[in-house]
Amino acid sequence: MSKPRVRRATVAAATVVGLATAVSAGCGSDSDASSEGGVTTLTFAASTFGDPGRGPQLQEWIDEFNASQDEIRVEAASVPYPTFGQTVLTQMGGGEGPDLVRFDMPEFEAASDAGLIAPLDDLIDVDQYELLEQPDRFMVHDDVRHGIIFEASNYAMFYNADLIPEPPTTYEDFFATAQSLTSGDVFGLAFRQTEAEEAGVWQDIFNYVYGFGGAWSDGENLTINAPENLEGLQAYKDLYDANVIPRGADAATFRRMFAEGKVAMELNNGGYATHLRAESPDLNFSAAPIPFPVRSQGAILAPIVINEASEAKEEAATFIEWALQEENQVALQEILGASSVATATERSPESLQEMPFLTTFDELTESSLPQVVLGFEAQTPDIRKIVVQNVIAALQGEVDLQTALDDAQEQATELVG
Amino acid sequence: MTVLEQTRAPRSDVRPRRSPLGSRWTPYLFLAPAAVFIGLFQAVPLAQEIYLSFTRTSLLNPTRSTWVGLENYAHIFSDDDFHRTLVTTLIYVVACVIGSVGAGLLVALLLNRNFRGRGVARALVTVPWAAPGIAVALIATWMLNPQYGIVNRFLDAVGLGVPGGAILDSSTYALPAILVTTVWQLFPLTSVVLLSALQAVPRDLTEAATMDGAGRWWTFRAVTWQVIKPTVGLLALLMTIWSIRRFELIWLMTKGGPVGSTETLVIDLYAQAFDSKQLGTAAAIGMVGVVISLIVIAGSRLVTRAADKEGLR
Repeated sequence: MSKPRVRRATVAAATVVGLATAVSAGCGSDSDASSEGGVTTLTFAASTFGDPGRGPQLQEWIDEFNASQDEIRVEAASVPYPTFGQTVLTQMGGGEGPDLVRFDMPEFEAASDAGLIAPLDDLIDVDQYELLEQPDRFMVHDDVRHGIIFEASNYAMFYNADLIPEPPTTYEDFFATAQSLTSGDVFGLAFRQTEAEEAGVWQDIFNYVYGFGGAWSDGENLTINAPENLEGLQAYKDLYDANVIPRGADAATFRRMFAEGKVAMELNNGGYATHLRAESPDLNFSAAPIPFPVRSQGAILAPIVINEASEAKEEAATFIEWALQEENQVALQEILGASSVATATERSPESLQEMPFLTTFDELTESSLPQVVLGFEAQTPDIRKIVVQNVIAALQGEVDLQTALDDAQEQATELVG
Repeated sequence: MTVLEQTRAPRSDVRPRRSPLGSRWTPYLFLAPAAVFIGLFQAVPLAQEIYLSFTRTSLLNPTRSTWVGLENYAHIFSDDDFHRTLVTTLIYVVACVIGSVGAGLLVALLLNRNFRGRGVARALVTVPWAAPGIAVALIATWMLNPQYGIVNRFLDAVGLGVPGGAILDSSTYALPAILVTTVWQLFPLTSVVLLSALQAVPRDLTEAATMDGAGRWWTFRAVTWQVIKPTVGLLALLMTIWSIRRFELIWLMTKGGPVGSTETLVIDLYAQAFDSKQLGTAAAIGMVGVVISLIVIAGSRLVTRAADKEGLR
């Protein structure tokens, strides 16, 4: 009697072990790198690959690298912007994901803080490149380099030159222009103001806070409810209350309206210029510095990084080194339009003729800041959520703006300890 | 020998050889695949979630957990936002159940009558249920768009326009808008199920009630309702659990905003796990949802048993 029981137990145990093995076989920790026939294939994830104005050109740029040698092949992976950070960070947290990633700053900071990004100091000798000092200083944490600038895009004021022959130069002019142009289904201005676009609202209010002399922190303590911040966000709320924006419209909608001449002004980063040029070649638009009291605005800093889990870090570094070569930086600069790249490059006469305002963006580099909370970089996504929720509560009239900022200060302080 | 063989009576104690399918292990054999499936894909994740809810775990480093005991539970139950989330969930679930079962019953009663084109009407009613949830959410969002949406145009035309037009960005109107969309998607299922229950109502009983002088309402209450009541109870239970779990419609329409006015338990869980990257807190929220679902199921069984006993008396 005992033998069959032992046999049954053995079979049952073997079945369980077999199932467990089969299940765990699909759960290994691995990056996307693969090697076949002596060619190492790397995956490079970026939201910009899906941008119709720049994606195809970026693919051609990568193809040039693939054609330049026969040992490494880079494949572009397009991940939509709204879910990019979440998707890629979740993969990387699980020890997987693309080998190369173009991050935005909040996700870059969170990933580097969590040890998900490979230090580049031993992989790339940056001293041989003339990196732009202002954006590059945000790539290093405690003397450890985690990224190289892929794109630095300063914020400026885009305006429809048919509707606005001379751009406003003060906030009062800005407000008055927005009011005077709002009529029927045409709006003087557009910005993001819905919780569904939390990251976008943060980017937009950043310009109002810093443009009025405020800051989210002094580097050591949070200063969310500082008087300057209140002044800047009151300006933002005044425009909302004045109904000079298409309320409730998301960025995709009001950008289409801008392209159709139904929105006159918009604060946006340089990457928008090439997008507009590609999507609406007939639109007569231009760009000028944001007309707020202080010349300080946000910048989209987008580093390229190597996944710590990548099995092909050397090969990934080879691609970054290729990208940093002068001719490839120039080519990348031409693709990115009004954005800057890692090194100082000369803009071509053709580009300047097509978009004379490009120099405006270049001149803003020294006064532009990444949209992170300085001193609390890794916690920026959490602080962002708190601030945006409270500011929107004020827009909705549920609390006054001062109370909203006080609440945000209290909640964020509790969060960061 | 031959005679002997022919006259030998069959032994009464000889039992036919049992088929392997008749062994006492057979039920276990048939249940094993389902048990393994449930164990692997439900019991193990549930156990893992219970464990996670007692830890501080980041999505960015899920393998590095710190045991914190009841800290996550203490945190969420002391958080005013979580209280608001529970209230929103309760409102959403109750309104979904009443709306979908109520609308489904009305439509089922209509479709149970004889009229021309009844077959076409019955087919058309199922369309919202057949549509994928994501498509429903995107179409609803487009219809509610403050610039181009048809709903605002209509509301403005009849003088009921929402100030600013942004229904989904108003903390007053966003939840009702989501509820209407949810009920619109759910009522076809409840109406089809209730229609089949209505067709099981014995016609002689309703005719007898009518001959006894009962009006429509009394006939419905005394006869029809008694027959369809168990089906209504089952639908209410299913709608409750599905509504507690509903994610894609709310997430795609408002992401829980504005100002948390449409944030249900599942949305909060997702935001904690993937926005804030706090897997421990998210797991604790998930466990609250599991407990609520279990309470609903237990309550439903108690009500059913009480009703059965009442029926027997």
